[in-house]
Amino acid sequence: MAIIELNDFSFQYTTSKQPALQHISFSVEEGEFIAVIGPNGSGKSTLCYTIAGFVPHFFKGETSGSVRVDGVETLSSTLAEMVLHAGLVFQNPFNQISGSKFTVYEEIAFGLENLGVPRNEMPDRIDEVMALTGIRELGDRSPYALSGGQQQRVALASILVMQPRVMVLDEPTSQLDPIGTREVFQVVRSMTGKGITIIMAEHKVEHIAAFADRVIVLDEGKILRQGTAHETLTDPLLPERGVGISRFTSVAQQAQQEALWPADQVLPVTLEEATEGFQEVLRGSHAH
Amino acid sequence: MRIEINDLHYIYNTGVEALCGVTFTVEPGERLAIVGQNGAGKTTLVKHLNGLLKPTRGSVTVGDWDTRQTATYRLAQRVGYVFQNPDEQLFCSSVGEEVAFGPHNLGFPDEKAEQLAQAAMALTEIATYTESNSYDLSPSMRKLVALASVLAMDTPVVVLDEPTTGQDAVNVGRMAHIVNHLHEQGKTVITITHDMDFCAENFTRLIAMAQGKVILDAPMHEAVSQGALLESTYVTPPQLTRLGKRLELSESICTTDEFLSALRGKAIKTHG
Amino acid sequence: MSNKLSFYIDRPGPLHGLNPLTKLAVAFAFIIIAFSAHWYWAPLAIFIAGIIPIAVAGRLGREFFSTGVRLFLPLFAFLFIMQSLFYPGGETVLFRLWFLTVKLEGVRFAFLTAMRILVMVSSFMLVLLSTHPSALMSDLTQRGFPAMLSYIVTSTLQIIPQMRNKAGTIIDAQRSRGLNTEGSLGQRVKALLPLVGPLVFGSLVDVEERAVALEARAFNAPRKKTSLREIPDTNWEKVLRWFCLILMVASIGSNIWLS
Repeated sequence: MAIIELNDFSFQYTTSKQPALQHISFSVEEGEFIAVIGPNGSGKSTLCYTIAGFVPHFFKGETSGSVRVDGVETLSSTLAEMVLHAGLVFQNPFNQISGSKFTVYEEIAFGLENLGVPRNEMPDRIDEVMALTGIRELGDRSPYALSGGQQQRVALASILVMQPRVMVLDEPTSQLDPIGTREVFQVVRSMTGKGITIIMAEHKVEHIAAFADRVIVLDEGKILRQGTAHETLTDPLLPERGVGISRFTSVAQQAQQEALWPADQVLPVTLEEATEGFQEVLRGSHAH
Repeated sequence: MRIEINDLHYIYNTGVEALCGVTFTVEPGERLAIVGQNGAGKTTLVKHLNGLLKPTRGSVTVGDWDTRQTATYRLAQRVGYVFQNPDEQLFCSSVGEEVAFGPHNLGFPDEKAEQLAQAAMALTEIATYTESNSYDLSPSMRKLVALASVLAMDTPVVVLDEPTTGQDAVNVGRMAHIVNHLHEQGKTVITITHDMDFCAENFTRLIAMAQGKVILDAPMHEAVSQGALLESTYVTPPQLTRLGKRLELSESICTTDEFLSALRGKAIKTHG
Repeated sequence: MSNKLSFYIDRPGPLHGLNPLTKLAVAFAFIIIAFSAHWYWAPLAIFIAGIIPIAVAGRLGREFFSTGVRLFLPLFAFLFIMQSLFYPGGETVLFRLWFLTVKLEGVRFAFLTAMRILVMVSSFMLVLLSTHPSALMSDLTQRGFPAMLSYIVTSTLQIIPQMRNKAGTIIDAQRSRGLNTEGSLGQRVKALLPLVGPLVFGSLVDVEERAVALEARAFNAPRKKTSLREIPDTNWEKVLRWFCLILMVASIGSNIWLS
């Protein structure tokens, strides 16, 4: 039984003239990693908020269709209920610091306090997520005295500690430098190892390719393509619709037109795949 | 407008020495990219160009103006600085007013200011939003409004602080188009960026910084081949450069065309 | 650059170990007695025999005097002058200054008021110097104080310094667009909107995001909140707090009865 199921779901913000999502249908099995890509304005954030329950309970608007997350019909539920099932981490690391705690350790405990978790259970849970997110040494620091990458990892830890079965990440590395990006993707890798279901909206295609079980491509609120990373990220429709693909893919696409990429070989998404493919061409294993 | 930076040192109030003797010159019309890990001093350096920071030691001259003796609001006539976070600049009730704010401050007559604003909005493709309030637009559109506001000032030097952060492929493409347009107008474009692909495809000179010093200053093709040096300041070379190196085609590939050309060349050589 | 607005000094001592409510109770007791006692010298006596020894015993003497003096002296001077010059009634004139008269009764009253204010400011100062804001808020919340109010206090203490940084960046950004932030008064007034506008609008954007973040941390969950840190409380402190309450009631009562 799928842990996330959207059935013909549409949504239009009250302040907007156009629907943000139209007739979205897909399902996700527990433990899967789904990447959501698409141009700005295609509905990635709205989809993330929907799965986390903020649409329609925080961001108001008209809905149709159904959304089911971890056994809960989100549209008829409440936000307070939803946050127990799906955790949300978004772009801006600074705005995710609650402001009510003066150290990282207490910041992470904040969610547990709100959930009414008994005091004696807290230290173990906090230590576990701090290890998972690689922030063990930051416990005594003020959350405001950290780098963007560190703050984002604190945000991840603060949500993970609440043990949601689904984690929704809305472009968590958009505002980070390369080091911060690397740090966050490392945490994401650790999360997949723990069997957490992850939905991640992202622009940085080259990182997604390594992790995603499936990729959903959104365009103007509709699903343009969905499938494995390879199927979607090499589809020529993507660059036409303004969805970024890696240079490895685009250069191989162009090379293909000059018979400089094996006609029957799948287009590459990563450096390794591109290297292999072009090496074959140079060795002359495929006649041109 | 030539920019000369001479033995520039800067120490913050906290005692942190952010710049430890930086020297280089930027000729008019150059497209320069500055890269390096956070804390290397890139933003500190670039804030000297319009006088937001004054040197602790050393000097910065923009044309014939010494920044130590010129206020920022005057240097703004020569150096337009686009900040990374648009929400730190936008306050007008309409995009049109916002974009015209800069030219008005610089003393352009109303008609000329309007003209410049319109040209900037056309270039950034936001003319349809002239009457909208900036805060009704998405964050990525607001970034374009902030960009237009500075471009409208028509300065000979334009500084872009992380222009592609948070932007999708379409907007990155727009940025590339804008950089090239500015170059064609004869303006100097300086950018701080983490996006090495954007950097290699649109800029012709690279400066890499680490710990307050310049560790690499070279034409783009030469710079991208310095893998080890770049990695030392946490900069990953562009995707195609790495691919070209792995395939032993060339160490200096910056664009798709260059890659295909090198590939063609080697394939012909191998197979005759 | 200070990252916090709080006065808290992190130096373990006898006061630091006390429950925050106990410290508040004693502070209020001092204040109520100082304001309601009929004995003229009561406030000064409380200050010298009560507050100063506590400050020294709590190892907060240095900060107490430096911050206290810094805050209190201008206030004291202002009060004293105002009360001395504008005291209604009274007959013993000390001297005249143009159309203003300084009377002995005025000076006496000014001194009393100043001493009372001194007790108030210094008592609260001692509480703030020895109590970490999160400990105070945590204790109050555990006793039933609304969590939202507690959140507002602690987040304000942390976010205002961050807003200071933001304001600095906004000033830089607008100066980079040719805005003259020095110059004549007229120019400076015109510069206000471009400086305040982004701060306000940007803050609205941030506030919405922070509200989302708080919801995601189950802040509004319909459950009784627990707390990570246990704020210690002892029996003798409970007794002391009751004693303070009795003193306050007695003081007010005797004030009314003796009038």
